[in-house]
Amino acid sequence: MKRMRTLAGISILALVLAACSSGTTDTAAEETAAALDDSNCAAAENFCVGLVTDIGKVDDKSFNQSAHEGAMAAAAEVGGFYKYIETTDTKDYAANMGQFTDKSYDVIVTVGFLMAEATVTAAKANPNTKFIGVDQFQAEEVANVTGLIFPEDQAGYGAGYLAGLMTKTNKIGSVLGLEIAPVQLFAKGFEAGAKAANANVAVTTVYHPPADNGFGDPVWGAAEAKKQLAQGADIIFGAGGGTGNGALIEIAKAEGAGTAIFCIGVDTDQWFTVPEAQPCLITSAVKGLTEGTTALVKKAFDGSIAGGNFVGSAGIADYHDFASVVPMDVQDKVAGVVAGLKDGSIKTGVTL
Amino acid sequence: MTLTETKTPNKIGFLVRNQSIVVPIVAIFVAFVLGGILIFLQGVNPLVAYRAIFSEAWFDSDGLLRTFQKTTPLVLAGLAVTVGLRVGLFNIGAQGQLISAALASALAGIYITNLPPILHVLVSLFCGVIVGALWAGIAGVLKAYRGVHEVISTIMLNSIAIGILDYLVSNPFQEPDQSLQRTKKIAETAVLPNIGVIPFGFILALIICLLVSWMLNKTTAGFRFNTVGKNKFAATYAGINMKLMVVTGMLLSGGLAGLGGAIETLGITYRFEPAFNAGLGFDGITIALLARANPLATIPAAILVGTLRAGGASLQFETGIEPEIVDVLLAITLLLVSAPILAKYLFRGKAQKSANVTSGWGN
Amino acid sequence: MLDFIKDNRKPVITLGLVTVIAYVFYFLDEIKTTSVLVFGWGYAVPLVLAAMVGIIGERTGVVNIGIEGQMLMSAFASFFGSVITGNIYLGMLIGIAAGLIMGGFLAVAAVKWEMDQIIAGVVINIVAAGLTSFFYAPGKTLPQLVPVVSIPILSDIPLIGPVFFRNGIFALATLFIVLAVNFAIFKTRWGLRSRSVGEYPSAADAAGINVTRVRMMNVTLAGALAGCAGAFLALEAAGTFARGLTAGRGFLALAIMIFGAWNPMGALAAALFFGLSTALASQLQADEVINIPQQFVNLLPFVMTLIVLSVAVGRVRPPAAAGQPYTKEG
Repeated sequence: MKRMRTLAGISILALVLAACSSGTTDTAAEETAAALDDSNCAAAENFCVGLVTDIGKVDDKSFNQSAHEGAMAAAAEVGGFYKYIETTDTKDYAANMGQFTDKSYDVIVTVGFLMAEATVTAAKANPNTKFIGVDQFQAEEVANVTGLIFPEDQAGYGAGYLAGLMTKTNKIGSVLGLEIAPVQLFAKGFEAGAKAANANVAVTTVYHPPADNGFGDPVWGAAEAKKQLAQGADIIFGAGGGTGNGALIEIAKAEGAGTAIFCIGVDTDQWFTVPEAQPCLITSAVKGLTEGTTALVKKAFDGSIAGGNFVGSAGIADYHDFASVVPMDVQDKVAGVVAGLKDGSIKTGVTL
Repeated sequence: MTLTETKTPNKIGFLVRNQSIVVPIVAIFVAFVLGGILIFLQGVNPLVAYRAIFSEAWFDSDGLLRTFQKTTPLVLAGLAVTVGLRVGLFNIGAQGQLISAALASALAGIYITNLPPILHVLVSLFCGVIVGALWAGIAGVLKAYRGVHEVISTIMLNSIAIGILDYLVSNPFQEPDQSLQRTKKIAETAVLPNIGVIPFGFILALIICLLVSWMLNKTTAGFRFNTVGKNKFAATYAGINMKLMVVTGMLLSGGLAGLGGAIETLGITYRFEPAFNAGLGFDGITIALLARANPLATIPAAILVGTLRAGGASLQFETGIEPEIVDVLLAITLLLVSAPILAKYLFRGKAQKSANVTSGWGN
Repeated sequence: MLDFIKDNRKPVITLGLVTVIAYVFYFLDEIKTTSVLVFGWGYAVPLVLAAMVGIIGERTGVVNIGIEGQMLMSAFASFFGSVITGNIYLGMLIGIAAGLIMGGFLAVAAVKWEMDQIIAGVVINIVAAGLTSFFYAPGKTLPQLVPVVSIPILSDIPLIGPVFFRNGIFALATLFIVLAVNFAIFKTRWGLRSRSVGEYPSAADAAGINVTRVRMMNVTLAGALAGCAGAFLALEAAGTFARGLTAGRGFLALAIMIFGAWNPMGALAAALFFGLSTALASQLQADEVINIPQQFVNLLPFVMTLIVLSVAVGRVRPPAAAGQPYTKEG
């Protein structure tokens, strides 16, 4: 009897959860009329786009998701077919890419610099397929691999400049994911920009200790942010996937969030991806992941894509509701700095 | 404590080995049915989903290689837990032993130079086995001489291993010029090659499996092992040195787990990365229980688990079902295969005793 | 009160020492000390609650290594419960209910079905991890925040006040829960019966206590505390859910339970000790005073527990019948 009840209970729970969850990937919903399946990608008129995530999901509110949205949008625009695979095991990179190459996909987007080696290997084995490596710097040029890279330090610099001008306590901080190159670029850029704007500012920089969940530990991120706030920081940069998101959410809860205390997001405009952070989210240090992916996939479609590196854009996101809080002269100065970074007249001076 | 001991002597031998083969089979079947319901609730035909998994894992040459690659450490993890169970120990620490061994063999593969290929591979494997054995040996010694229950000590040792290795691989042994947490690649001479679709490691695992089976069933040492596992008091009465058995059992168990980690490193990843294969230890438990602590049966059990894991990517590719469904399937299998209620239900009337694998914390 | 201190000498002395040291630092740097303590207590809260789950279970004779899975499931349930119902308080209740259900499952599996308790715990962990990953839906936001409550008078005590008495609901409740559990286990009839079931079940049976019922009830109810721990993590600590949110805290709680000698006050002291050492190491690193690799700090509880277990044989021992299913003889 108890077994029956337990089973019934579990089934009901499963039904309820299934009704409002996404245990499946949304490929069905996102396809467009033109190419309905990938049964004949080899044909010239069918354009098939594939995406392989790094360990993690396309719903990570961070770079996997941005690349996914970019590729999906590009496929829709050109009337192609799009599908993705979420990697669960680093040993599966090659196999996952193989799923796409076996079906003669035209373009494969691989997300995350941990996949760099696997991407190049797969590209060399499949010279007719184009590979787009997001965050994968190509030290050597391989004809069918394009590394989509971003000047993260520039985005960080812009955000830091804003923070340096806006801080009233002269103390700002950053709560970061693992200490890897892209994150370091963001963090060092942030510090450089802040100091350039305000010589008296003190910047606290804390990385998540090396662990499997370095980019998915919101509890640690929140606790760290709370600590930095308690010690006087009034603007904090949260850069590290789920970890950083935890920090943003915690700061949004703080007294004075939005008036005296602010937070800055990363990678994409987190105003939309982490709505809980809106009370404090003055801006985000963004890399044009979505636009860059879309652009490159379209280039692959029209044949203009080239090997080597493609530098995407980086900057800071809109102030949204804080446009009235940030003084006009500050906005102008920051805009000037961002423009200067873009055209090269200002250098961040950040090296790794 | 002793009162209850004589009334319910260690039942592991009895349960796991006298359980009918019907139980694991029914367990797997029911798990697939329940999993199928979950898949159906996502709007996908379960048969299509299962076909996707199996066709990728078995009928695609890359997939077949991957299946073998995933099965190999699973066989060894299953053997590790099996050997432990036979002597009455529950080794939950296979994970920690495995990753310690993986790092050790990676380091041997990187830093030992000037060895011809075969020798280099053997030495590296050996390093891995030794480290895995020693890591488990800590738990064995603590149990034999201080009465610390191996379940709790191996759980602690798992976490300790993860912490130490995380540190080692981000500082002293980190690949230079890379901010990634991992070691350099091992030397070419230390690589375990594949023969067609069959990794050499898999053949090695099969041989070890046969050896273990032979040892347990045909040698005096194996006889002692089994006796200790069936009834501690009879064993002591027969003059078997319990402390030695416990330590040896853990060493052997850890060595097997270590071999799994070493083969994974030398034959598949070619370096040490912390994030590799986090569920291996627990999969080993599932396999050992499915195999009813019979070493030879760990092979088909490991093939099943390896297939599910290898086919998971294709599952998502073809049907959109997320790969975590495999974890759910295996968890349900583990639940059913270890709940005597299933046996009682199937064999109403036949006395099936309790599934008492462990007997508390303090011995 | 004196009795209480006498019975819990070691934890009280430890806590006393820690308090004194804390106040010394407080005089040196008010803000920093407070923030370090807040970090430490925040780290300790879910661990303390989880350790209570383990203690109640083991004192009654049921080993629970599935606390990790219980917490994860409760965190998931409380977050999505809040989202679906639009009410964070309902979400909390749902989270606690999830803990109760998983506790009930352990109770049925390990006590009624006489499944091996370790394996039952392992199953709970795997199932929880698999289900929460599988059913996770992105992009959901909490409808409200857990309000921060200040207990009057108590929260004005310098240093201790803001740390312990100005918090969200679960964090506030934790201290009181520990005291309540401690009282219940050692000073009530329920506690006495539970402990006898855990130490010498056949004698308890002979005395007329329904061993099975006591075990099942305790394990199930203890699940509510796991639910609190999970709800705390998702709703108060992180404000969101992420796959694998619990990150091994359930196993850490086992170490704390053992290190605290299966005693609620001991577990509290142990959790605080480890929480503070983590916070301290983090602060020292931020101040660039000394860089103790965080991994070693994280290892400390496990290593110390192993040492304690190996060294203090006989003096630190679990309930005698923990881990064995009880079958009525004759």
